[in-house]
Amino acid sequence: MIQESELKTFVEGTTNYFEVAAQQPASIGSPYLVTEGQPSVHEYTGVINITGKREGVVYFTAPKAMLTVLLMKMQESDFSHETMRDLVGEVANTISGNARKDFGRDFVISVPSVLTGEKPEIPAMPGLRSFVIPINWRSHSAKLVVALK
Amino acid sequence: MNAVNGNTGNGARRTYKLMIVDDSNIMRRRIERSQNFEELEVVGTASNGVEALELFKKMDPDLVTMDLTMPQMDGIECIENLVKLKPAVRILVISALADKATAVEAMEKGANGFLNKPFTDRQLNEAIAELIR
Amino acid sequence: MNFSGADRKRQLVTVGVGTVLMLVMAGVLIAGFRLATQMNANVAALQTASALQTYPNTLVAQLTSLRDRLETRAYSGQALADLRATVEKFDREMKQLGEFSHSPQFEQAQALWQQYSPVLDPVIDFTDQPYVDSDEEGSTLSPEGRTHYADVKRAQLFTQENSEPLQALLAGLSTQLQTEASTGANRLRVLLSAGVLAALVLAAAAAWFQLTRGRSERLAREAQEQTRDILRTVKEGFFLLDADYKIGSVWSDALTRLFGRSDFAGLAFEELLKDLVPPATLATAMKYIKLLWGERAHENLMKSINPLGQLEIHVETASGAREARYLQFDFHRVMGPKGVKHVLVSVGDITSSVLLAKELQESQENANQQVDMMLGVMHIDPVQLMSFLDSTETGLQLVNAILKEPARTDAEFRKKLDGLFRELHSIKGEASALNLMSVAHRTHALEDMVTELKKRPELSGNDFLPLVLKLDDLLAHLRSVRELATRLSNLRESAPTEARGGRSSGKGGTDELSRTLQSLAERLAKDHNKKFRLSVSGLADIPRAYVPTLKDVLIQMLRNSAVHGIEPAEVRRANTKSDVGEVRIEFRKSADGFELMFEDDGAGLLPEQLKAAAVRKQIVTPEEAAAMDTRAAMALIFRPGFSTQEQVSMDAGRGVGMDVVAKSVYAIGGKIGVTTNPGKFTRFKVSLPASEETSTAVA
Repeated sequence: MIQESELKTFVEGTTNYFEVAAQQPASIGSPYLVTEGQPSVHEYTGVINITGKREGVVYFTAPKAMLTVLLMKMQESDFSHETMRDLVGEVANTISGNARKDFGRDFVISVPSVLTGEKPEIPAMPGLRSFVIPINWRSHSAKLVVALK
Repeated sequence: MNAVNGNTGNGARRTYKLMIVDDSNIMRRRIERSQNFEELEVVGTASNGVEALELFKKMDPDLVTMDLTMPQMDGIECIENLVKLKPAVRILVISALADKATAVEAMEKGANGFLNKPFTDRQLNEAIAELIR
Repeated sequence: MNFSGADRKRQLVTVGVGTVLMLVMAGVLIAGFRLATQMNANVAALQTASALQTYPNTLVAQLTSLRDRLETRAYSGQALADLRATVEKFDREMKQLGEFSHSPQFEQAQALWQQYSPVLDPVIDFTDQPYVDSDEEGSTLSPEGRTHYADVKRAQLFTQENSEPLQALLAGLSTQLQTEASTGANRLRVLLSAGVLAALVLAAAAAWFQLTRGRSERLAREAQEQTRDILRTVKEGFFLLDADYKIGSVWSDALTRLFGRSDFAGLAFEELLKDLVPPATLATAMKYIKLLWGERAHENLMKSINPLGQLEIHVETASGAREARYLQFDFHRVMGPKGVKHVLVSVGDITSSVLLAKELQESQENANQQVDMMLGVMHIDPVQLMSFLDSTETGLQLVNAILKEPARTDAEFRKKLDGLFRELHSIKGEASALNLMSVAHRTHALEDMVTELKKRPELSGNDFLPLVLKLDDLLAHLRSVRELATRLSNLRESAPTEARGGRSSGKGGTDELSRTLQSLAERLAKDHNKKFRLSVSGLADIPRAYVPTLKDVLIQMLRNSAVHGIEPAEVRRANTKSDVGEVRIEFRKSADGFELMFEDDGAGLLPEQLKAAAVRKQIVTPEEAAAMDTRAAMALIFRPGFSTQEQVSMDAGRGVGMDVVAKSVYAIGGKIGVTTNPGKFTRFKVSLPASEETSTAVA
């Protein structure tokens, strides 16, 4: 069973990114479970696969509008598709780094991959419930999804 | 560190040539934009280890910021190569990989500093200051 | 501890003082000895000089006596012998005196004495017979005797004449010798006094040094003792590493306890760890130690990358068993004038805290796996159990739906608590009634968490994380209860699956879906004190791939209807509607796929209210809102952010998570639309493409 500390590590990795990169903290919304199938995603999704002590996926999925504002806050002027991909990749990278720091070698964490579109092929985790943690930042909302065995 | 500013007189200051290596565009631009050292001149950016090596040979930078997880030759291997080419080069590792073994490995291969992603502008500038003073 | 420098200095001072003392004493002794010898000689000389003073008169007397004897023809042999002896003695003593006195008085005395010589020599050299004996004249002077007599007479006169001057000269000499002697004595006195004084001063200095040395030695000893006490008592292992990564000669006793060995002096750090950690960790650790000496990285950076912050090692216990321990190593550079001199290493045993954390985790995991449900499950009627499980799962779906409502503010989070509590409380009641304590306990724990949250002054999403984890745990538990129950009923063969409503029949769980929706409807009606009927049709035709999404969608819509759509009975009555509301769900094939219809005969949506809410939430500008027709206004409820704020003030709205619903419909390639007649009904229509699964099924 997934531990609260583990969940918190992923959440902190995410909120921390907003706080540090955009100098504006993100808050987490009301968390919930997706008991069947996969949670819906936004346009840009950064995925890390986890093996080792735990197995599963963790992903950060955000709408384009949120990423645009985030880039603006980071004083970026390039809002291309590539830049958006870059950005969710960085967020996922940070989540993975944070997890490695906290869990050390117990977790084998993949290099993040970035998926786009409304129906990306996120590796299915049959029989696993997903924890969905909304990440609210300014008026926007992204999601952190944690599905671990 | 042999590039000396052409100005003479009291105000003469070293300039350092900085190369930024990161596979993320945003990150490259962010570092370039956020560093606020007058004596730093960004001479190039690279998005992977192979590119970095090429650019390094051409531009001979004094300072390098280095991501660790990149396609085509990862950061650690790249550090090793850069130090071979120029032992006096100073390398700041900027990575989200925060585990101890990676950090020790990077330092051992010749890195001079370690900065965790994500970072604030202030943290970045402090880390760079640590390297050039 | 480093006293060796001060020690050496102190030693040097002591040796120096001793040497100076010895040199001074030797100087004083030698000088004193020489002075004393000289004085001794002086005294002898003085005696001689004093004795010599009498000799001139003695000479006169003896010459007179000799003359008398010669004149009286008496025996002169003895007198001559006496004279000779006196002269010899005079000569000898003058010579002696001459050996250490070269004063003018002596020179003059000697010169005068030398004048005696020619006068006295003939007298004392006389050896013949002075007399001739004849009968006629008796004894007379012989010719030699006459000459002798003349010599004696001359000598007598000479000595008489010179006796006084010579005596005076000798007296002067002895006075001078006396002065010299007393000067010598004074010198000796001064020398001795100075010597004694110097010796005293040096002895005092030596004593003082000895005293301070004693004190500093005592301090050093005390410091050493204290250090020893610290090293003996401290719980952490402390030692210094030198530049060869070897352990120094001092370490705290705890190290022995930590590593089960005591041969640390000179032990290589690598050796210490070699058998305790895997090679990869050892390699990283050694690289790290090397970096510490490099001084390339500052202390904070080094601290942050310390790979031995929590090291698991295995040590042999007294009984020979291998035991896991967790050690925490800290490294601090000790700087010397030439860079890093040592590295101070502290090692702490954090086993208990690590184990405690692990135990907590394990007990939590164990609780999850405990099969205390077993007994409970076996005694419950299978049909009753399955119906309980269905109802509980529905209840938990509802719990999850409440959680799923977006929330940002404290008020939004707080609003959830009552609903959560109500659902959990009723599940707990049912579980207790069935005596399913494993479920009841878990639900109770969740309920407690909700009660606890109510007391918090400020709520945020973080506070809900443990709740979701517990909910997940409870769902997992229910699943295992269900598995167990299925296995039990298979064993009994008394309850074929059909008896429970065809749960495992092949229709993708759609019967389960309608049951879930029915039980949810009952539950919602009860919870919100509303009256309505749910009718469903065609749900069995839902392709398997769509079931999870549509289940979520329908639960959300049903909740909206129950909470916001269906009016309380008295309101309905006042509006000439029947007391009991109607909610209809229909699923059917359409020309190009499927269609899901959801309708309630509740209050409906008011376009103007929707527009006003959207403006308030800054989703659209007032100008944009004004330009919207009814259709566009309706579509606002699917806009992201529409339902995420100010829900507390939106009592009349229908905006509970409709953007989320729309999103999940889009995710499976569908479309969603809404039509409404204020006061009469709200109807959602979801169009879905023909799924792959159905096309193959049709083919």
